[in-house]
Amino acid sequence: MALSFTRIFDNDWVGPGLVSLAAIIGISIFQPSFLSPFNIFVLLSAIAVNMVIALGQLVIIGIGQMNLALGAFGGLVAISFVAVMELYGVPPFVAVIIGFAIGTLAGGASGFVIARTGISAFIITLAGLQIFKGINLGITEAQPFYGVPQSVKDFGNLSMLGPIPWLVLPMLIASIGMWYLFTRLRIGRYILAIGGNRTAAELSGINVTATVIWAHAISGLLAATAGMMLVARLQIGQPTIGDDWLISSFAAPVIGGAVLAGGHVSVAGTFFGVVIIAIITQALVLFAIDPFVVQIVLGGLILWAVGINRLRELRVAKLNERA
Amino acid sequence: MSALQVSHVSKAFPGVKALDDVSMTLRGGSVHALLGENGAGKSTLIKIMTGIHKADSGSITMEGKPVRFGNPRQAAAGGLGVVHQERNLVTRFSVSENIMLDRLGKHSLSSVDYPAIAAEAARWLKLLDLDVDPSTPVSRLSVAQMQLVEIGKALSLQSRVLLLDEPTASLTPSEAQVLFRILRRLRDDGVAIGFVSHKLEEVFDICDTVTVLRDGRNACDSAGLKSLNRDDVVQMMIGRAERISKRAARSKPATAPYLELQDYSSTAGHKDISLTVRPGEILGLYGLVGAGRSELAKAVLGLSGQTGGEIRVEGRHVKINSVAEALALGIGYVSEDRKAEGLILLHSVLANAGITVWKRLANALGFLRDTTIASRVGPVLKKLEVKTPSLDQTIGNLSGGNQQKVSVAKWIAAGVKLLIIDEPSVGIDIKTKAYLHDLIHELAESGTAVLLITSDLTEMVDVADRVAVMDGYRIQGLVENDRNYERVSTAIMGLIHGRKAA
Repeated sequence: MALSFTRIFDNDWVGPGLVSLAAIIGISIFQPSFLSPFNIFVLLSAIAVNMVIALGQLVIIGIGQMNLALGAFGGLVAISFVAVMELYGVPPFVAVIIGFAIGTLAGGASGFVIARTGISAFIITLAGLQIFKGINLGITEAQPFYGVPQSVKDFGNLSMLGPIPWLVLPMLIASIGMWYLFTRLRIGRYILAIGGNRTAAELSGINVTATVIWAHAISGLLAATAGMMLVARLQIGQPTIGDDWLISSFAAPVIGGAVLAGGHVSVAGTFFGVVIIAIITQALVLFAIDPFVVQIVLGGLILWAVGINRLRELRVAKLNERA
Repeated sequence: MSALQVSHVSKAFPGVKALDDVSMTLRGGSVHALLGENGAGKSTLIKIMTGIHKADSGSITMEGKPVRFGNPRQAAAGGLGVVHQERNLVTRFSVSENIMLDRLGKHSLSSVDYPAIAAEAARWLKLLDLDVDPSTPVSRLSVAQMQLVEIGKALSLQSRVLLLDEPTASLTPSEAQVLFRILRRLRDDGVAIGFVSHKLEEVFDICDTVTVLRDGRNACDSAGLKSLNRDDVVQMMIGRAERISKRAARSKPATAPYLELQDYSSTAGHKDISLTVRPGEILGLYGLVGAGRSELAKAVLGLSGQTGGEIRVEGRHVKINSVAEALALGIGYVSEDRKAEGLILLHSVLANAGITVWKRLANALGFLRDTTIASRVGPVLKKLEVKTPSLDQTIGNLSGGNQQKVSVAKWIAAGVKLLIIDEPSVGIDIKTKAYLHDLIHELAESGTAVLLITSDLTEMVDVADRVAVMDGYRIQGLVENDRNYERVSTAIMGLIHGRKAA
């Protein structure tokens, strides 16, 4: 009994899950409107988009790198998505495919450069961030595209069932897909093997170059998904989409138990990381607290998450020392 | 037919000939020891066999067919499995996933068939008598079990030749016995096993044949171990120089000791160490690898805790808790691993040579000017004839010998009174080596106390005044060096063996 109890607490998602639950109960006691169907709908819409963004970073964290260009990918796909519909009358379904292709190609290209040059992903994606943002501004001249079809607007703003928005659907598909990838697919295991011990992976015959390209292409695909979800939600092709993704895309996976050095991720943990961030952000609005406090709280949250991450790394280092 | 034959392989790195016409033969159903002191060329040889380095000349054949692997992956696919000294496992993954890591699926999007992988892994675990559930994460295993998992991984690739690089370095004696039992069984199944170790008891326990390397050459090529005894092997490892040193024995300075250790013991495992170094004296510290020599130097520098005994510097009782404290007392250390511990390779010559004097040269406001440092460091570098285009040159671009000179220079610039020099001539050419020996002598003549650690017995006889012999983290005795190689080496070996005989 004691054993199974500690086993449960071994799971990365249990801690953030309990924190989420406590936060929901606590806030709804003070502010019953927090659990109103409308508020739940708003909250779930935000969580759905942020979860897909976080998954885009999670796959790169898994391989032991970081993707600073995630938001730039998403932004470029978002405006391209609207542009092809507005300027060329491309039907939404085809526009989505084009969006996926752009994101995957952009990610794959950045992965290719990282794998081939051996330059750190931090530098390459920092350059990528500038390049893709520049292309975005070149296309839009910093003006939004307004030609979003009604069907797309509906997808981003109507409910699928009760207070559950349609946006939850792509989040569920992406989450289950990534969970399956990390636990069951060869590519997912290779990503985590390289993140966990690159030398061992290389000596075991894993093609590191190809795996790095795969990881970044998947990251681009997820960024594209999130970018188009935001277009649907905002009903407009904003050139600024993606500008504010960076901090929370790292915070949620880390709160959810991912090791920044790579090799260990939790999709469920990341979900609760996203939930915690969404609840805190929204609660501060609900209690009419100054926006600057939101910034401070988010900053503190990241320090807390990174502190926990450091403890975890020390534990891993101890294990490796023994090995 | 031999399972693996290395024939007349040579390999030169800039400034040093790492392997010179080396041969070795491994046969199926036999365990072969590869021996040699540090820098003898064992790791270079292994790296050439597994395709990390390319040989300049010579050939390697497996079962008669010439092979030339481009990287360790190809070597593994070709039936040459290597278990490296450092563990190469993904600790968060399960035992079975680690063993089958390169066979998790046909293509990237294949689902991993965990039951099939566990079943395949279980076969190898059974063969190795490793009684663990294949789904256990590797992080939960003991070091010995991890070692067996790596062997299982190598074997699962159908390796006909298995190279083990110091497999017992982190095992307890009883764990090592378990490993040996398994190695014997693999041997009886026809696997050719190559075994690198520094522990001669183990070699005699398990190996059938032996190749000894010394200074990059064969001291013996695949000789039967039955006809040899321990002395023969040690003799081959450390060499028997015919010549008498060109240096005359130096007159002993009659000064008071600079550093004294009395019944010193450390958390690193040293016991009852007593020795003294006088100003102007070169005390050699000799022992086989693993005797605890470098560890003693680092313990004295404050990197390990002191658990007993006394350290006295110039007669005063001291406690040294950090390198900074050691430096304040006038003790400097030239590391054996100059790339990792001695120098900051990306920084300039000036920055590297000046690092020890920054604190002292900074002015009242803590500002430090390059010209101030250069005026202090420049003359020392000039005296040591460091060949560098300028003081701003990145030190990583200098030759090994010049790097070594800079690592000595920084301590001279700091004006240390005791310099501990650890394996000064590993990876440098003969000319620079001779120059370094002269330099060490000059240092001593100018009144610096020198503690010289080296595995190279010729170097020891050439340079040291007295030799303290270590084994098993204890001092076994002292030998006065009269530059008579024959007499000194016999005395030193006698002291190393004294303990074994007892």
